[in-house]
Amino acid sequence: MKLFKELNRELCEEPTGTYAPYYYRFVGYKKDLAAKPSALRANGIYSLFTESRPVILKNELIVGNRRSLFAKDVNPIVLEYSKNMVDIFKERWFDTNKDHFAPDYRHILSLGIPGLINEADRSLLRHRNDPEKCETIKSMRLTLVGFSKMIENYAVAAEEALSIDGYDKSRLKGIIDTCRALINGKPSSFKEALQLVWFCHNAFLMEGRYAMALGRIDQYLYPFYKEDIEKGAITDDEVIELLENIFIKLQDDVVNICIGGQNQQGECDVNSLSLCVLKAVGNCNVPGPNLSLRLTPNTPDEFLDECLKVIGTGLGYPAIMNDDINIAALKKYGYDDEDVYNYCMVGCIENFITGMQPPWSDDRFDTPRFFDFIFNNGISETSRTVGLDTGNLEYIKTMDDFMRTYEKQLAYGADEYFSKFNATNASLNQRFIPEPFLSCFCHDCIGRGLDINNGGAKYPSVHGAVVMGIGTVSDSLAAIEKVIFIDKEATLSELRDALNSNFEGYEELHKKLLSAPKYGNNDDFVDKYAVWFIDYLGSLFEKYHTYDGGRFYIAAAANVSSIYSGAQTNATPDGRKRGEPLSDAASPGYGRDTRGPTSTINSVSKPDYTKVACGTVVNQKYSPEMFSDGKRSKLLALIRTLFKKGGQEIQINATSREILKKAMDNPDDYRDLVVRVSGFSAFYVTLGREVQLDILNRTQHE
Amino acid sequence: MKINISNIQHFSVGDGDGIRTTVFFKGCNLHCPWCHNPENLTSAPCSMTYPNKPGTEILGKAVEPAEILSELLEDKDFYDASGGGVTLSGGEVMLQTEGAAELCRLIKSEGISVIVDTAGVVPYTEFEKMNPIVDEYIYDIKTADCEKYRNIGGDLSIVTDNLSRLIRDGKSVRVRIPLIPDFNTDTESVNSIGKLLCSLGIKKVELLSFHRLGSSKYEAMGLNYLYKDVEPISSENIEMIKKEYCKYLKVDG
Repeated sequence: MKLFKELNRELCEEPTGTYAPYYYRFVGYKKDLAAKPSALRANGIYSLFTESRPVILKNELIVGNRRSLFAKDVNPIVLEYSKNMVDIFKERWFDTNKDHFAPDYRHILSLGIPGLINEADRSLLRHRNDPEKCETIKSMRLTLVGFSKMIENYAVAAEEALSIDGYDKSRLKGIIDTCRALINGKPSSFKEALQLVWFCHNAFLMEGRYAMALGRIDQYLYPFYKEDIEKGAITDDEVIELLENIFIKLQDDVVNICIGGQNQQGECDVNSLSLCVLKAVGNCNVPGPNLSLRLTPNTPDEFLDECLKVIGTGLGYPAIMNDDINIAALKKYGYDDEDVYNYCMVGCIENFITGMQPPWSDDRFDTPRFFDFIFNNGISETSRTVGLDTGNLEYIKTMDDFMRTYEKQLAYGADEYFSKFNATNASLNQRFIPEPFLSCFCHDCIGRGLDINNGGAKYPSVHGAVVMGIGTVSDSLAAIEKVIFIDKEATLSELRDALNSNFEGYEELHKKLLSAPKYGNNDDFVDKYAVWFIDYLGSLFEKYHTYDGGRFYIAAAANVSSIYSGAQTNATPDGRKRGEPLSDAASPGYGRDTRGPTSTINSVSKPDYTKVACGTVVNQKYSPEMFSDGKRSKLLALIRTLFKKGGQEIQINATSREILKKAMDNPDDYRDLVVRVSGFSAFYVTLGREVQLDILNRTQHE
Repeated sequence: MKINISNIQHFSVGDGDGIRTTVFFKGCNLHCPWCHNPENLTSAPCSMTYPNKPGTEILGKAVEPAEILSELLEDKDFYDASGGGVTLSGGEVMLQTEGAAELCRLIKSEGISVIVDTAGVVPYTEFEKMNPIVDEYIYDIKTADCEKYRNIGGDLSIVTDNLSRLIRDGKSVRVRIPLIPDFNTDTESVNSIGKLLCSLGIKKVELLSFHRLGSSKYEAMGLNYLYKDVEPISSENIEMIKKEYCKYLKVDG
């Protein structure tokens, strides 16, 4: 059995004790409860790192896990008190720039921990006349010292394990050597470098951070990999085994890992380590390592094909990003070129300048609910929210009038969104919750003597407004244009009544709305609204700024929010009934792109995604036979064409047997699932049960 | 000259190289009872009513080749990127060669490849009209048995004669055999087809295994599908059939 599987089994065993990071943190707080914020936080992090007791698992090649934070034999009153106290001191959260950050691993790998501490010492000297900065730098330094001490504790724990049965002694000796090397200097091998990265990531997890990206791992680890390979010190299989050893620990998280991309000269950054990363993620086959491919026109087809093979296992990763579009989008914000080309993703798809901006935040902006305000004088009963009263429907005489009214509603909605963002940030004094350890991984906090969220980062913080419902909105606008203003089949007031009665008693009108052109079929009549959607929302959010002067990006992605938001949205003019999901991410409405993937791609590549700096998600499902040796090249060509046409992202899912089974039980959720065989294609859910089973059985064999 | 078609299917992946768009011609001179595209058996429009889909869909309309072309051109970038193109299928394309030839000329003038999928039961003069403008034929061989061919409306001698003339005329032909349970999958049938193709100088075949995905279409048309209860061929049997064919020629798919 592969080592990572054994490790996974160990990880699944429930540890004894109470998971109590607060307890270990409070040990430090308690030292000086009256300390200034940065010293207080640093004390807490120092004790979190040094008081916790490392646990080495038998199958770990790369050590570090959160088991060290399980408190045993601690008086429950002490635990409770520590928790209450730590809660009072508060922590940041996603909305206020806590995590979703891609650390500057390249920097710490080049200096090592002692080098980084040394950098802090030099900065202290430089800022010696600025007490506040000295305080900040000292707190950063303290967390680094604690971090180093924690690694020493791991070495000690490994030494102790030498006398315990069941441990591989030579493996333990390797761990001890690696830990000692990292305490004393910079990493000098692939294994040491990977161990250092993992210690950092694990430390962020101990701090309670989520969705911390590993970023461009195939780039920053490459020098170590290359040297080891050339020396014959390591093989690709060993590299993959080491990577599996950390990827298997990423479950229950969203850790973005980026491979590929291009450098400033436009040269492809794919290397043989990229392939190792891909294979390791594929082998682990667990959600958590959120693999992203930065695809460029000169990424070799062979590599893209390897990615498709991994996707075809049913994993759904890597998500494939159009590097040219992302770079063009990011360049609009004035980042230095070399920084732009080193971008990666955090969370699901959010574009991020690696280690140079404060942690990411974003929120959802669902757009279809604004129709309700137009039709009902600013009050939506379904969503129980209020927009603008834009007046009597009789004054809307043309499609153009309607568009201007809808724009007014959206503009108000954007202001409302911004005010909430502001209020959330205002509730938090930016200087009150410093992040001394995290700051050490952001250029150039140590040098500037400033916290990551207080001017230390090279670039200001960015907020992502995730605009939802491009398909629902485009289809709705097209239906209004066609049915109301061109065919004059009904008035806007009749449409309002139909929407408010969820089309009951308006079946004829409902049918007409449903048969209006739909987004995803390469029909400009409706696609023009998708183009407008991105242009208009992009421009709406241009005008806002974050607390430190950073910008708002927009995204066209939604995870599963389109379902929740849909549940609270009235019937929409596209014929969608009340409570049904909104269109997903940047994709057309469910089951509405009926002309096949090429038409979908022709449609979804029309908007100008260089205005969508945060990122886009276009989900597509394919039956497993599309991943067979004969057909994969067709998928590859499909992706290439999407990107050539200006699409920004595609996430492909191989339809597993499980999905086919689900589709049999819940056909409404899988209306867009197509089965293709020679000379024939059909929507899976329209097929009879017997035939569905035939397909299910085919899938089993492939 | 308008063409009677039922449907244009984008992103066809089983009808030739690369990403293709398939134009389905209506009307067929065969009546294979296992056919998965029953809407193309007749020239007259068909109304399709699916139990779980509202409304009735009418399939079948006469369309100008130029109009078809404009839809085919939507996917030009995909053909170029994948080495794909257009496939004309049916029904029997070769029953509408006048319109088909006009369409092919239009497609070729855009630099797009054209494959014609045919069962070959037409006079060779029809092929002569198409040969200069068709890049490749997908050519169905259903059986090597005269009587069986006659039962489905075909004529083995025309089929084999046309096939050998296409080869003699230097056309690229992809021979395809549908594997139909109780029709052509027994060892004897396989061997006779294998021998026949071998004698015609065919080096390679594609096997297309029976499926009953079309049964919902029969239902939608209010027709009884004789093959609705016929199980797909097991993968073990397919392997055995493949092995048998391999005695005579190379097998794809």
